[in-house]
Amino acid sequence: MKDIYILGIESSCDETSCAIVKNGVSDISTIISSQIDIHKNYGGVVPEIASRHHVRNITIVIEECLGKANMTMEEIDAIAITYGPGLIGSLLVGLEAAKTLSFIYNKPLIPVHHIAGHIYANSLEKKMEFPLLALVVSGGHTELILMKDHYKFEKLGGTLDDAVGECYDKVARVIGLEYPGGPKIDQLACGGTPSYQLPVPLRDDSYNFSFSGLKSAVINLNHNLEQRKESINRENLAASFQKVAVESLILKTRKALIENNIRNLIVAGGVAASTGLREKIKDLQEELSLNVTIPSMKYCTDNATMIAAAGYYAYRLGRIADLSLNSKSNDKLN
Amino acid sequence: MRILYIDTSSSYLYTGIVEEGHLISEIKEDLSLDLSKVALPRIASMFEEHELRPDSIDKIMVVNGPGSFTGIRVGITIAKVYAWSLKIPIIPINGLEAMATSISAPIKVPLIDARRGYVYAAIYNNDDVILEPQHILLSDLLSHLSEVEDYMFITNNEIDLGEKKCGYNPNIETIVNRFCQGSSCNPHMVNPEYLKLTEAEESRM
Repeated sequence: MKDIYILGIESSCDETSCAIVKNGVSDISTIISSQIDIHKNYGGVVPEIASRHHVRNITIVIEECLGKANMTMEEIDAIAITYGPGLIGSLLVGLEAAKTLSFIYNKPLIPVHHIAGHIYANSLEKKMEFPLLALVVSGGHTELILMKDHYKFEKLGGTLDDAVGECYDKVARVIGLEYPGGPKIDQLACGGTPSYQLPVPLRDDSYNFSFSGLKSAVINLNHNLEQRKESINRENLAASFQKVAVESLILKTRKALIENNIRNLIVAGGVAASTGLREKIKDLQEELSLNVTIPSMKYCTDNATMIAAAGYYAYRLGRIADLSLNSKSNDKLN
Repeated sequence: MRILYIDTSSSYLYTGIVEEGHLISEIKEDLSLDLSKVALPRIASMFEEHELRPDSIDKIMVVNGPGSFTGIRVGITIAKVYAWSLKIPIIPINGLEAMATSISAPIKVPLIDARRGYVYAAIYNNDDVILEPQHILLSDLLSHLSEVEDYMFITNNEIDLGEKKCGYNPNIETIVNRFCQGSSCNPHMVNPEYLKLTEAEESRM
């Protein structure tokens, strides 16, 4: 069978990225231009600044990607683009670029949901076996999704308030860590012991999560210690927070796997890079004899490689858009 | 020589194809929130209408601002990806300067509402620039004009400027012919000229 090359473009937040993936599994070329150094001056992503940088970067990133692959646009079979969800001004830059390439080179345009991208990052690791359970954990999402086949997404549950990654970032800010604080919490936690008492959220019969209560508990604890002029052990606080956050994720994931009789588990999204979560997933794997896939660190954060991989399976299913495709800041995964 | 013109700096899409100095196709349409969705299909429809291939364009001219931040990015992104793909020259032009070509008056004051009492504006005396395109308080602009007699505002915004005001309806052929000898840029370096920092940047200063 002829090889299929998909060019993916991702610009939903603060990374401008372009990648070429072969047959949905091989990373031929990936370029990511990150704006972390710019946004950390503001303590978080400033949407208008992010959009401005995407415009500056977009053609450079595409050119470098093709150059690294030693390919031309003519050799590309289709163009995959993150149409949403995300920051609307950021999404639009990638979208207009993808649409223009599609028009000029007469290549099919494939809309990819950002979360589908995170899920399909696992296709770059090994073949996805169905039915599978996807634990999606990022700055904007905390969801358990059941997939019986490619692009058959059934949401079992999700967060009722904050996303887990958002909670990581807020806790990091409370204890004075620079943006993006999530990964720094994970690092600190490695050197601490979970000595502070925090509640495990939402021990109920659903597949849902809740992290706002945990976030408040950390803020209150920190505040009370400060009031009593007691010194805060940041390592121990990070370890205490991470232990409870991960426990909550594992609790519902375990429940969903057992009750739906599923042996294939994939983890997706930025928080999948957390070593604390990875360790506990490994324990769960041994306990339930699971087939587990977690993306490599470089595919956990936002990148176009996962968009191109997701785009391959969408292309095979004929999920093609015309030039009137628009970006959506919010859209259901389907 | 076939030139594609793109201006998405307001809620309007102004686009056209000029062939050997003559306009062969144009679209002027108020798209409002549909701009990002519809701009490219509309541009593509001009090519279909004339049975032109996308790669039959020799040069791109694009308005790089000022105006709607998102709008400018839509046009600039299309234009720079287009020029980069085909390796053809791209000429960014200032939208206020383009507006000034649309009427004949001794002193021309193209103006775009920038809200909160501010406007994007410039003052031209025929070809001479009296006031460079800038983000300026309307009251400051008016004091610049206090000793000028024969001026005319050009704007499509609902803004109270008295009687010396006319709407903007671009003559794309005139604009393209006027600026087509302008210096071409590396598409990577073609970026919006917002004329205004983001609020986050302003509050850090």
